[in-house]
Amino acid sequence: MAASGQQSSAPKAGRALWALAVVAAATLALSFAIQSPNRRKFPRRTPVRFWHMWTAEWKVVVDRIADSFNASQDTYELIALSVPGQAANSKFLLAVAGGDPPDCMAQWNPVIPMWADSKLLVRLNTLMTPAEWADFQTNTYPIARKIGMYKGDLYGVTTGLNLWACYYRLDHLEAAGLDPNDFPKTLEELVDVWAPKLHRRDENGSLVRMGFMPKGWSLYVPGFGGGFWNWAKPSDLTIDTPENLRALRYLVEQRERLGFDNVLRFEAGLQSGFGIDWPFISGQYSILLDGQWRVEQLARHAPEVRYGTAPVPPPAGGKANYGWSNGNFMIIPKGARCPAGAWAFIKFWSGLAEPARAAEFYTWGGWLPLSDKIAAAPAYRQYVRKHPQFQTFLDILPSENVHPTPPVPFQDYLADRIKQADETAMRGTLTPEETIRRLVREIETERRRRREFGHGD
Amino acid sequence: MKKQHLIGYAFISPWLIGFLVFVAGPFVVSIYLSFTRYEVVTSPVWVGLSNYRRLLSDDPLFWKALGITLKYALLAVPVGIVAGVALALLLNLRVAGISIYRTVFYLPAIVPVVATSVVFVWLLNPQIGLVNQFLQALGLAPKHCPAWLQSTRWAFWSLVFMSLWAIGGSMIIYLAGLKDIPIALYEAAVIDGASTWQRTRHITLPMLTPVIFFNLVMGTIGAFQYFTQAYIMTEGGPEDSTHFYALYLFNRAWRYLDMGYASAMAWILFVIVMVLTIVIFKTHRRWVHYGG
Repeated sequence: MAASGQQSSAPKAGRALWALAVVAAATLALSFAIQSPNRRKFPRRTPVRFWHMWTAEWKVVVDRIADSFNASQDTYELIALSVPGQAANSKFLLAVAGGDPPDCMAQWNPVIPMWADSKLLVRLNTLMTPAEWADFQTNTYPIARKIGMYKGDLYGVTTGLNLWACYYRLDHLEAAGLDPNDFPKTLEELVDVWAPKLHRRDENGSLVRMGFMPKGWSLYVPGFGGGFWNWAKPSDLTIDTPENLRALRYLVEQRERLGFDNVLRFEAGLQSGFGIDWPFISGQYSILLDGQWRVEQLARHAPEVRYGTAPVPPPAGGKANYGWSNGNFMIIPKGARCPAGAWAFIKFWSGLAEPARAAEFYTWGGWLPLSDKIAAAPAYRQYVRKHPQFQTFLDILPSENVHPTPPVPFQDYLADRIKQADETAMRGTLTPEETIRRLVREIETERRRRREFGHGD
Repeated sequence: MKKQHLIGYAFISPWLIGFLVFVAGPFVVSIYLSFTRYEVVTSPVWVGLSNYRRLLSDDPLFWKALGITLKYALLAVPVGIVAGVALALLLNLRVAGISIYRTVFYLPAIVPVVATSVVFVWLLNPQIGLVNQFLQALGLAPKHCPAWLQSTRWAFWSLVFMSLWAIGGSMIIYLAGLKDIPIALYEAAVIDGASTWQRTRHITLPMLTPVIFFNLVMGTIGAFQYFTQAYIMTEGGPEDSTHFYALYLFNRAWRYLDMGYASAMAWILFVIVMVLTIVIFKTHRRWVHYGG
């Protein structure tokens, strides 16, 4: 019986193997037969694969820009792909490591120094003519160069800068008897005179409306004459300086005046901060520091809110038109199959090629341009006339007192530790002096490690 | 026979190939990478034991992250076991509608952890969250209610508290274990005059120890891999109070582009988990009872 069983199992096994092979082949054939949902619109053109992280309403804007590029010429077809923001960096790195990166990518994470140091990015100035490079260095805003450059080379071209300014609600100011045309000239006046008139508390003493409260160490240090990097003569980090300490002390004192826990609870009770949930719209803030993109959102989601904008006033004796900035920028990875097409698109969107036409793209997203040429273009001026509050940001834009996170190869780590230090001081866990000392220690430890391993320092 | 083996392997080949390529391969390669400086896009450079030396002697965040993870494992795993067993005992009672109760308590276990995390961010909101509103309804003054995820003191405990949300998964295993206990043991105990507590203490719990042992091992391994909730809900904050080991490892690998260092971290974690698992296995003869 056993022998006959073995004999009969052999043909069965053969049939099973064949069946398996047929199923596998059919699956493979089917996968080729099914058409991709993203079919090429211009199959004869050279494809330029572009990755970005925008979704929802922002993706629509990016797709419009991609369509405009495709309509503007007949050599390249830009294929835009939205990748999930949280996984974008790892996907990008793996694509580069696997030898199949996109041709260009829009980024906003602090990655340029780290990726440039790892020889991952194309030096964009090598794609420019000498005249274009000279023009870029002369005619773009300082902050666009600070964000995009690393050790003298250009790795990222900004297509939208972010700046922060004061948004103030006119109804709150009027009710408190404050004149918006006479906005405070110093931070002290704003914090000591205006803010208390605007704060509102409930019967338990808990804050229900914040008049104004300065926060964000990185945002305020330039106003106090400090900063984490000497931009005039780049050499090293400048964390433990009297100016940085003064800025942190000031911020902590203001938090202390309102009560650490009180502020914590007030902030935790705010909505998400996106779109219509922004606490400025709901009236939980009278004066709030926020980015220029809110102008567009206010027009879209809450046109009934009457408001104005103003630069954050400097502390007495401090520097005007100051702040921290980041932005959207375009990079080309090493190994890109069509760097020429990618560069053509970057010039198209950023306005390095045709500022007047690119000005329109900036207005679609409410973005800040990288040069005066774009800001002065008719399309952009028309946008500013429609949204006069936007002018405040344009006034700050050329300032030398706006800085990004220092361009060190461990920029992301540095940004994390500065944020953590800010949090520690603001919660009163450590004094500002102790906080700065600890931050210096942490950064020194990291640099020691990097030096030992031969990383960029 | 040979052909039969071949067919068997052919059928499991999708899994085998996946295992070799995506698990075993990276597992072995990561040993080598942990002795290198590796930035994903460049070739690894041999640095010997430097990654391990730096981690152990000159990285305060490594120790902090390890401490937080260890504390979590020591708290969340036993709490989960006690709560899971207690819940299983309750859901083993013969009362009307018990199937509905079982379903209700199991449901949270099938909700994706990302969705759960987002919901808990709102539940634990100090100002408008349901948890604090409940505490206020019990008479606690608003200023005395914990700030949960916003508070350095409470954020870690919030995650421990949240871990109970998904005990339905282990509860169902305990319940299956309870159903497996021979009824004859209880009948004999009842004839001998044993009380409910005595039956629980001397029959139920000892007979359940194999299942408890299984959940202890799996829970310990899971606790050391704790990542998603901290990544979504706190990003390691406030003030690094929820900076779990796996989160730090992820940041080192993908955000700071330090894959060699992260590989060394992964291997230290592997050794710790292995040692703990071995310790648990070594001790199990003393407290795990296998029926016959």
